[in-house]
Parts: sequence; C-alpha cells; structure tokens
Amino acid sequence: MAVAARALAFLLLTACAGAQAQPPEALAWLRRIHDATQKLSYKGTFVYQQDGRTETSRITRYVDASGEIEKLESMDGAPREIVRTRDAVRCYLPESKTIKVDRRTPERDFPAMLPERVTALARHYEISVGELHRVAGYECREIVLKPKDNLRYGHRLYADTRSGMLLKAVTTDAAGQPIERITFTELTLGGVTRAMTRSQHESGSWRVEDAAASPASLPGWRLSAELPGFQKVVELKRRLESRPVSQMVFSDGLAAVSVFIEPLEGRANVRTGLASMGAIHIYTREVANHWVTVVGEAPAASVQRIADSVEYRRPQ
Amino acid sequence: MKEKISALMDGELEDREAAGAIGTLQGDGDARDAWRAYHLIGDAMRDTRALSPGFADRVAARLAQEPTVLAPRRLKPEARPWYAIPAAAAAGVAGVSLVGYLAFAPRPDAPAVARAPQAPVAAPAQPQVATVPLPSGADDYILAHQGFSPRVSLQGMAPYARTVSSRSVEPRR
Repeated sequence: MAVAARALAFLLLTACAGAQAQPPEALAWLRRIHDATQKLSYKGTFVYQQDGRTETSRITRYVDASGEIEKLESMDGAPREIVRTRDAVRCYLPESKTIKVDRRTPERDFPAMLPERVTALARHYEISVGELHRVAGYECREIVLKPKDNLRYGHRLYADTRSGMLLKAVTTDAAGQPIERITFTELTLGGVTRAMTRSQHESGSWRVEDAAASPASLPGWRLSAELPGFQKVVELKRRLESRPVSQMVFSDGLAAVSVFIEPLEGRANVRTGLASMGAIHIYTREVANHWVTVVGEAPAASVQRIADSVEYRRPQ
Repeated sequence: MKEKISALMDGELEDREAAGAIGTLQGDGDARDAWRAYHLIGDAMRDTRALSPGFADRVAARLAQEPTVLAPRRLKPEARPWYAIPAAAAAGVAGVSLVGYLAFAPRPDAPAVARAPQAPVAAPAQPQVATVPLPSGADDYILAHQGFSPRVSLQGMAPYARTVSSRSVEPRR
C-alpha cells in the first residue's frame, strides 16, 4: 500500500505541477464520465472493433450502498463471463470449466483514476470538447484527448449529455486514425437487479485458478530508463495459470503498461518479439534468465522501450 | 479452369471469382503451369524482354531486408464506398499478375537488368524487432494487466472485452 500510495502521491504532485491550462469544460466532462462510470447501474450491448474484427459483448452493472457488481459476457467466439465485484475479478470459462480469480485486497486497492487526477492528464494530453454525436440513441458529447507526444495513444470519448455515461471510445494513433473502438449499440440506464449480475454458470465443481496476487517488492528488477510520463504505480507477485510471476505496472494516468517477469523454465516455446492486437502490444524478451513480457495499451515503440530498459542488478 | 486463369490475367473476373481463381493457383500445380505458360505465350507475342535469372529471389531478399513497421494496422474506414471494392480487387489481380510475371518469366540467356542505384538505408529510430503471433496465454497477461488500466475508471469493464481470438494465437504446446 505504502509503495503504491507514495507513487500515486508523487504522480499527482508532479503531474499537477506540469499541467497546463486546459479548457475547464473538457476537464469537467472527464470528471462527469468518471463519476457516471462509478455511480450508474445499467445494462447494454457494445461492440469491440479492432483490425477488421468485431466482437459483441453484453455488460450489466449494478450499484447500491454496499458496492458495485459488474458483469461482462462475450456474445461471439469462445464463451466467457467476467464478474467484477469490490473484492475480486472472476473470469468464468465454461469450455474448460475454469474460474480465474484475481482478488482485490485493500493493499491492492489501486485507485485507477481519482477525479482530481483528471487534471493531471493535461500534462500528457490536450483535452478538448468536440461536436455532438448520436450513439445508440443517446445524444453524446465528444471529448478529445490528443497526446502531446508519440509515446501514447489519443482517445475520442463520446458521453451521454444527460448522464455522463460513456457510449463510445475510440483509440487513435499519432495521425488521429482509429485503432480500436468500443461502441454501445444498445444501453438501458437503471432497471438492473443484483441477481442480473451473477454468473449464469453452475460453477461449483469448476477448477479455480487463484492469481493470489500480493504486493511485493521486486529486488534487483528495474527500468534503466523510464518512459517519459510513465511512473511505476504498483509492484506485486501473482500467479498466471499456475506459474509464479512478478508484475510491475507503469502508468501516465490513462495508459498503463505492465511488465511481467517469470523464470525461463516456466514457459516453453516462447518467441521473442512484438505481438499486437488493436491498441494492445505484447513484447517478449529474455533478461537475466527470465522471460520479460511487457503488455500495454500504448504504441508499440513505447512498449518496446519499456521492455528494452528492463534490467536486473543483483541487490547489494 | 483455364478460361478462368486467362480471364484472371486479363483482369476480367469479378472479385469473388478472382479470389477463387487465385486460391486455385495457390493450391494447384497444373493451374500454376497454365498460368506460367500463358504468361510466356503473352511475353513471346509481345516480344517482352525477360528479366535476369534470380530476379524474383533478389526482389524477395530485398523485401525481407525492409524494416518492419511497428505500428498497429488502422481500422478500416467506417463507410467504404461500394465502388471502391472492385477497384481494389482489380489492383490485387494486377499485383498477382506482376508477381507471376516476375516469378515465371526468367530466361537464362537474357541480358541482366540494370541494377537500380542503391538508396542509402536510413538508420531506424528503434532497433527493429521481429513481429510474432500473440503468445499462448496472451489472454491471461491481458486480463492480469487490465485491472490496472486507469481506463477502467472511465469505461467500466468494457476494455475487458479485449481478448485474443483463438485463430490469432499460436497453438498451445
């Protein structure tokens, strides 16, 4: 907790100091979207588009005084259901009768983006208010986040003018061209019960893979050069399938890049190099008898720079 | 089939038929022989000079040396005008014809083609890396990463929809 909290406080301070004046209206919009995301109950269908692929998912979110539950179900391809509660993220895979559980402990309660940090985003993005658009029957305001360098992607967000609910999000490259889109095709605000967010599966007999994540310091592992604007926000140990893996996360407040470190012998037939899927890049290389796998929603060059700077120095 | 190949060479096929014919060419040795023969006939009739031996191999080698562009492919434009599609298909057929010509036309006694002046190779900004298929277990990494993405606080769980489709991953071994 202390590490993450300190890293966050540092992020906040440095980011605020460097922030330039942005239209207050645009920042107010981001705060509205943030608040709507936390407070609204809804159900809807959205499509995820990337590189000619279109996949449909259904989302159900329920909030009451005791907390929030959110469920995501894939409608295309392999069935998959993810349920996120205050305590854990559970991924139900009916084909293999497996549940992957990632618990969120108080130590790991990483406040992904506090409303006050919205201002800090202005250090790396020019934030402006765009046109009105109609998405899934809702009148939406476009908010544009244009990156100030080529180390991060841009975003165009479309939020319902009444509720602030985000109905469409487009990730764009340096030229402003779309790389990835998430678009609601149908959305109902309210009218959700807690029962609707439960998994539909009778999963009592399924195999449970617990990530058993816990905060940890990773002595010896570091980046020889940090990527401008990306600060380390958390370090932890966890399991992936059954392999013990260390994870470090770096973020600029909107984009995040994870560095996974694991012993070579845990994985067979690994190919080093860069793999891509929409805005996500995965770069694998070998460092000091370990596989380093860097996963991030940032341009390939950023993911690669972080990966190339991972080094191990035997602690003194 | 031979009429199809002939029509394909002349760019007379509809795009679906063209795709079928190209598929046949990839899998059928007889069809490829016919393709080669028709091109040789065409060349002979037009008295086209053949390329130097090994030309296709050298082109392939030069292409292999080209730096890999490390950028995600852009999404297709939202509304693609229908009339653009046949044009694109025709361009594809033209490309195949050219490659077919390069690959099958060489004659050993032909004069060597003058070498194009070697353009200075610009130093790449980043060391070039291999692009590889998504690793097996990519979904696990993405899922483990996703929980730390600040985007979730603006978008809820929607970004969790990013999963790897089975066809784009290396098989698990």
